[in-house]
Formats: sequence, structure tokens, C-alpha cells
Amino acid sequence: MSAAAPAFVEAPPRNDLLGWLTTTDHKRIGILYLMTSLGYFGVAGLLSLAIRTQLARPNNTFVTPHEYAQLFTLHGTAMIFLFVAPFALGLANFLIPLQIGAADMAFPRLNATSYWMFLFGGLVIFLGAATNEGAAASGWSAYPPLSEIKISTGLGQDLWIVGVFLVSVATILTSINFVTTVFIYRAPGMTMWRIPIFTWEMVATSLLVFMAFPSLAATLLLLFVDRHLGGHAFDPAYGGSPVLWQHLFWFFGHPEVYVMILPYFGVISEIIPVFSRKPIFGYTGLVLAAFAIAGLSMGVWAHHMFTTGFVNNPFFSFVSFLIAVPTGVKFFNWIATMWRGSISFETPMLFAIGFLLNFLIGGITGVMISSPPIDYQAHDSYFVVAHFHYVLGGGSLFAIFAALFFWWPKMFGRKLDESLGRWCFALLFVGFNVTFLPMHAMGILGMPRRVDSYAASGPLPALNLIATCGSYVMLAGVLLFVYNAVVTARAGRPVSNDPWGANSLEWWTSSPPPEHNFDSLPPIRSERPVYDAR
Amino acid sequence: MTIGLRLFISSATFAIGIALAYWFTSREIVGTFMLGFMAFALGFVATYMIVAEREANLIGDEREATIEDGAGELVGTYTIRSPLPLAAAAAVTAIGIGIVVSPTIAILALLATIAIGGLFIVQSR
Repeated sequence: MSAAAPAFVEAPPRNDLLGWLTTTDHKRIGILYLMTSLGYFGVAGLLSLAIRTQLARPNNTFVTPHEYAQLFTLHGTAMIFLFVAPFALGLANFLIPLQIGAADMAFPRLNATSYWMFLFGGLVIFLGAATNEGAAASGWSAYPPLSEIKISTGLGQDLWIVGVFLVSVATILTSINFVTTVFIYRAPGMTMWRIPIFTWEMVATSLLVFMAFPSLAATLLLLFVDRHLGGHAFDPAYGGSPVLWQHLFWFFGHPEVYVMILPYFGVISEIIPVFSRKPIFGYTGLVLAAFAIAGLSMGVWAHHMFTTGFVNNPFFSFVSFLIAVPTGVKFFNWIATMWRGSISFETPMLFAIGFLLNFLIGGITGVMISSPPIDYQAHDSYFVVAHFHYVLGGGSLFAIFAALFFWWPKMFGRKLDESLGRWCFALLFVGFNVTFLPMHAMGILGMPRRVDSYAASGPLPALNLIATCGSYVMLAGVLLFVYNAVVTARAGRPVSNDPWGANSLEWWTSSPPPEHNFDSLPPIRSERPVYDAR
Repeated sequence: MTIGLRLFISSATFAIGIALAYWFTSREIVGTFMLGFMAFALGFVATYMIVAEREANLIGDEREATIEDGAGELVGTYTIRSPLPLAAAAAVTAIGIGIVVSPTIAILALLATIAIGGLFIVQSR
């Protein structure tokens, strides 16, 4: 088979609502994904503020215990299934065809279907909050027996199952699209070893989705059968096992962590060379490290289950430790890229450096709790809450803001305000660390996660109050970003094709790109074709 | 295609290796089954690529290819707009909601999904 740029069915561009509702253009779908996931982030962020408000002082009555359980369930679900992972899908939707010199995704209508399923899936999850007994309240991991019909009697848990199922199917379909597009639709000369690191990371992420998400879909079906069709897969009274749920869920759940971080490794790998004025150090090593991380992440699921006493702790501990090696390779390569570079500290670079600092803390605490003796102490405590927020909040969230500031000009043709961007970074960086750094201490002091109160004596009230204050500082940072976006939309100056002096192919075309992506392409002879052509 | 094929073969080999290592160190059936199934699925894709795509000759794989080398061929057309994805997603969502709320809604939504699937096929011709 010989592939060339497929022709378009020419149609006049539509910028009205119908145009957006019926679009199959990857760029518009990408922007829809991004804006929808940011919307869900806003909701999940407000839920987290409610959580932190409840925990601002001990024995607070801001919400009831049942409402609190719904809050942390919806917060976790929305952040994981509706924000961090889908934001990467949106970014990839926008970027992959542009980075490989293609006209669109391989399956444009499937792409649009995936987006709408994601949107509707999220709405169905939140629909549970409108039912009599409220939304799901069994945590984002929905462990039986909490999620079984005997305890979660309301419709909220069923709608959660349906919503998460829809989102997981949408994610699988999108990943099929990504891999097919990258394998088949690369421009002439764009060999696999020349595609940008972000695209490589999305290939690795898509492979992870193929391997992990079917397990989630099957597990959700089993839970539904248990709840409504007389199944007993997770009911020990009838020979089932809650530990089975944990195996099946975490077989998805841990790779999902890497689905939420690998794309952002790609983002960082794109940004650091541009603002260091150097080619990326160790392109091949970065790619191989991504696949090593993806592969190893499939063999670590039961490190979430050390304390059950039913798993092979040394095996899972060893493989979990191993993941630190390729992750360290990436860190080394990013630092080596910056080393002796002509670094400039524009907002995307600030967020990238923030990512490095925060993710380092999250990574190190991850290595700590990979050790079963430490995990027995830290399991289900705020230490673990701090750890995964440093990975996904300090890591992924900072990379998300880096990506927004970096690719915003390409998406909308206007650069976000630099001064506001720096303030946004400062507020988020300070707010994030004030919120989550004290949680390590809370966990070591024995404060368990998912509780709506804590001991009124000792250091916990002060630590919790500090964390709550930090969360409101983060809110200020997010609001400043929204203000920045509004100001830019109204008064931002149009930018050139390549406002940063970047390297990959998306910077060759206009900002924003035309419907067919490229009027022309430069010769592609390296992984930096735009740099070569300058 | 070579690297894509290599990717799936090496992933499948890794999955077989880790499944065996897990079985011999743990003797635990659930994890072994999932790792084994993962190996099978990756192997299936690799086999498909070997059998179905062995003749693939992608212009993107040629290191010295120029943009002109890829011009002039038509491998398909893209639909810029279609109402069907939104309709399909809405129908599938209605199936899900119907299953937990009302079987009638689920059945109607299923029929709608089948009809939309038919329209997809018609639109593709």
C-alpha cells in the first residue's frame, strides 16, 4: 500500500454551532476535547475545594459524611477519567497529524464519535448527583463491597459504571486512531525515528490503553452483573472475592497512571529543547524509555495491594523499583538538554521546570512506597495522597499548563499574556506545594485518606488549615489563567507560524492551521524539520 | 511498518516473559491470565501486521522521500463534517442510561444505534 495525503471533500468552512457539532476535523475535535476536559477540571477543582473546606478544621460540618464520600469519588473520577487523561487525548488529536505532516486522523468520524462518547460519559457520571441518593460514593476505585448493591443502593453507582464504561470505550477507540494515523499517515520522509517525542509518547500511551482499558471495561460489566443480574464475582459469601476486583481494577489502574503521565513526558520533551535552544538530548533513549516504562507498568498493578496479604510483594516491589530506571533516563535527558543551553524562561518553560521539581518529589515518594515495609505504614494515608498528587498534579497538571501556554498560539493564533502567565505559574507553584507538601506529614502522623474529620489535638489541624489555604491559592492561579485566556481572545496580537522558534512540523503551518493543515511541507530529513528549514 | 511491527512483536515477547516470570514466582491465576491474554492480544496484532501488511510500502518510511514523491495518489477522502458521530454517541449513551433506568429506552436506543451504523456504511460508500 502506498499512502499519500488523502483528498478532502471540499466544503465551505462553518464556524457556527452546527459546524462544531458536526465537525470531524481533528483540530476542532482536539480543541473540543481540551475545552471539555478543562471544564471537567473546573468542576473537579471546585469539588476539591469543598473537600479542603471541610477539612480546614476538625469536626467541621460543611458537608455530611455521605456528601463527603460523593465529593472525593467525583473529584477522583473527574480528575482521572475526565481531565488528565482526556486532556492528553485532546492535545494528541490536535497535534499528531500536524506533527507527522498528515491531513487528518486516519478515522475522522470515529474520532468525533470518541469525543462525544467522552463528553456524554462524563455527563452521565455527574448525572448521578441529581438522583435521590446522590452520586457514586465508593471512591474512584469503586472497591466492592462499597460499590455493591447492598451498600451503594442508589442509581448514582450505576450511572458511574455506565459513564466510566463509555469513557473507557471512547479512549480505546481514540487510541486505535492515534496508532493507525502514526503508522500509516506520516508525510514522505517522516520515518518513525523522525517523529516528535510527543507523538512517540502517544504511541506508547495508546499501547497502554489497548492493554489496560479492556480490563476496566470487563470489570465494570462484572460489577454491573453483580449489582443487578445476580452475579457474585466479588461477593465472598457466594464464593466471589473482593480481591479479584482489586486485581482486575489495578491491572487497568496502574497503567492508567502512565496513560496520565507519558503524554506529558512528551510535552516536556517538546518544550525544553525549544527554550534551551538545543536539540533534545538522547532522542532514541527517550523513546525507548517511554516503552520501557509502558511495558513495566503492566507488571506492577498489585503494588496497590501489598497490604491485602494476597499478592507476591517481592515481585511487584522489584518491578515497581525498576520503573525508576527509565524514568531516571528521561530526567537525565531533560537536564542534559538544558545543560549549557541558552535557556529562556518564558511561561511554558517555567511550567516545565515546575513539572520537573514537583514530579521529582512524586517520583521519589513513589519509589519509597514501592517498598512493602514502607507501604504497610503509608497505605491509605495522606502520604499516598501527597504522592499521587505530586505525580498527577505537580507533574501532569503543570505539564498541561506548559502545553496550554506553548501551543495556545498554534491553536488560536494568539499568544497568552506572558506577564499574567508568570503570575499564574507563581500562584500555582506556591499554592500546589503549600497544599500538598504538608500532606506527607499528615500521612506520617497517621491521618487516613477519605475521612471527613481528624483528631482535634496535635499538629493535624494546623497542617490541614495550611493545605486548605494552599488550595485557594491554586484557585487564584487557575482563575488568572481563565482571565488570561479571555484577555488574549479579546486583545491578543496575532502571531506568526512559529512564535517560539520551535522545531517540529506543526510550527511550519499557519497559526491557526487551515482545515487541510498544510499548504506546503519542508523536506523532512531529521526530527527537527522546521529547524532544518530555517 | 517495520518499526510498528517490531513494536508489537517486542511488546508481545515482553508480555510473555513477564507472564511466565509472574506465574513461576507467584502461582497466581488472575494476574497470569491477564498477562497471558495481553501477550496473546499483542501477538495477534503482530501476526496481523505480518500477514496483512507485509506488502506495505509506506512513503513515510522512506528516509529520502520528498513531498512530491507522495503527491498525486488518492487513497481516500475525508468527510469534513458529519452529524453521525454525535448521533451515534448519543444513541450509545442512551443504551447505557436505558439499561439502568428503563429497558424500553435501551431497546429504542439500540435500534437507533443500528440505524446510525447503517447510515455510517451508506455515507462511506
